[in-house]
Amino acid sequence: MNVSRREFTKIGCRIIIGAAAGSAVIESIVAKGTASQDPPGDYDWNAHYWGYVIDTRKCIGCGRCAKACKLENNVPFDEPVYRTWVERYRVLKGEDVKIDSPNGSIDGFDDDIPAEEVKKAFYVPKICNHCDTPPCVQVCPVGATYETKDGVVLVDYDYCIGCRYCIQGCPYGARYFNTERKTADKCTWCYHRITRGLLPACVQACPVGARVFGDLKDPESAVNKILDKERINVLKPDLGTKPKVYYVGLDREVK
Amino acid sequence: MQPHLKRVFMLLVIAIIGFVFVRSLIVPDSFGEYGWYRANSVNDIRNFPVKHAGSASCGDESCHAAIYSIWKDSGHKTVNCETCHGASGEHANNIRILPTPANDSRDFCGLCHFKRVARPENFPQIDPEIHGENLQCTYCHNPHKPWFV
Repeated sequence: MNVSRREFTKIGCRIIIGAAAGSAVIESIVAKGTASQDPPGDYDWNAHYWGYVIDTRKCIGCGRCAKACKLENNVPFDEPVYRTWVERYRVLKGEDVKIDSPNGSIDGFDDDIPAEEVKKAFYVPKICNHCDTPPCVQVCPVGATYETKDGVVLVDYDYCIGCRYCIQGCPYGARYFNTERKTADKCTWCYHRITRGLLPACVQACPVGARVFGDLKDPESAVNKILDKERINVLKPDLGTKPKVYYVGLDREVK
Repeated sequence: MQPHLKRVFMLLVIAIIGFVFVRSLIVPDSFGEYGWYRANSVNDIRNFPVKHAGSASCGDESCHAAIYSIWKDSGHKTVNCETCHGASGEHANNIRILPTPANDSRDFCGLCHFKRVARPENFPQIDPEIHGENLQCTYCHNPHKPWFV
């Protein structure tokens, strides 16, 4: 190729101008209006990092949390899907362990095994752990689930394609398929409530204070007061998911 | 520039412009603003309606102040109004919309107070077979100020 200096400069200038003009045109096409409806109140998600404590020693298995959750979040009421539920663990005298959660505990529990045969028994409320390294977010093929800056794992209901991969990916079984929305769905820690300064519906509904919610960034918050004092554990710590739901009085049978 | 190189170059430019154009149509607004997700969906979720108003909203001076002050000093003060009375967010915003009446059946009280093996022992429980002769609990007990608690 034999190009004079003049020719080279001409072509070079054309390419630079063309590229600049082209990208400007493309920018103007790409940059559509991004303003969505402003949410109520002023809330700075950098100022918070939410956490949740469940005291299994206090839970009485009334199931009011599971019911309040379904009402607050439009979870299909007659389907066996739950954002939070209560499990009953019964360690029998023959070392057998019976675990059940009829209708997610909403209708309560009946003692269908005589008390004489039970060695020990307790209730364990379950909820999305809002992991710091969430496996469900990692497997989403379209970026429809994510962790917010304040540490809540959410689902984008408009963008989810309903492939159910995240439901398989969650090691805690905390996700379900919402047949009304046709998307995956899960606990949001009542994000619409906590960003308005309210408590999640399940925490508010609990009559015995077995569920505590608060800001991990605030040293005086209700969760930090418990985390500083009690002996706590998380579910399946070996998976490295770094859950932000902490349990007090967790038995080794609980998985 | 040689013509065959020019042609390839033009095709490449068209392909890049085509890719950017199609991508701009497919990728939703606000995607990638904070991370690999649609930033607007955070606001969508924040705008969901609140269904449970909370006990504090019941105790307003012109509303249920009397029963609220009784409940506030009772053994049931840890039980939020809506735990028994149902979600009342709509009612708190518009008093013409009545919440569903509280369930005052024996079985509803039993969700917390029937004897169950898995319940903490120090929690007040009754054996429904021998206590209360199958009467409605509210026949003897005031749920807003229960006895023995």
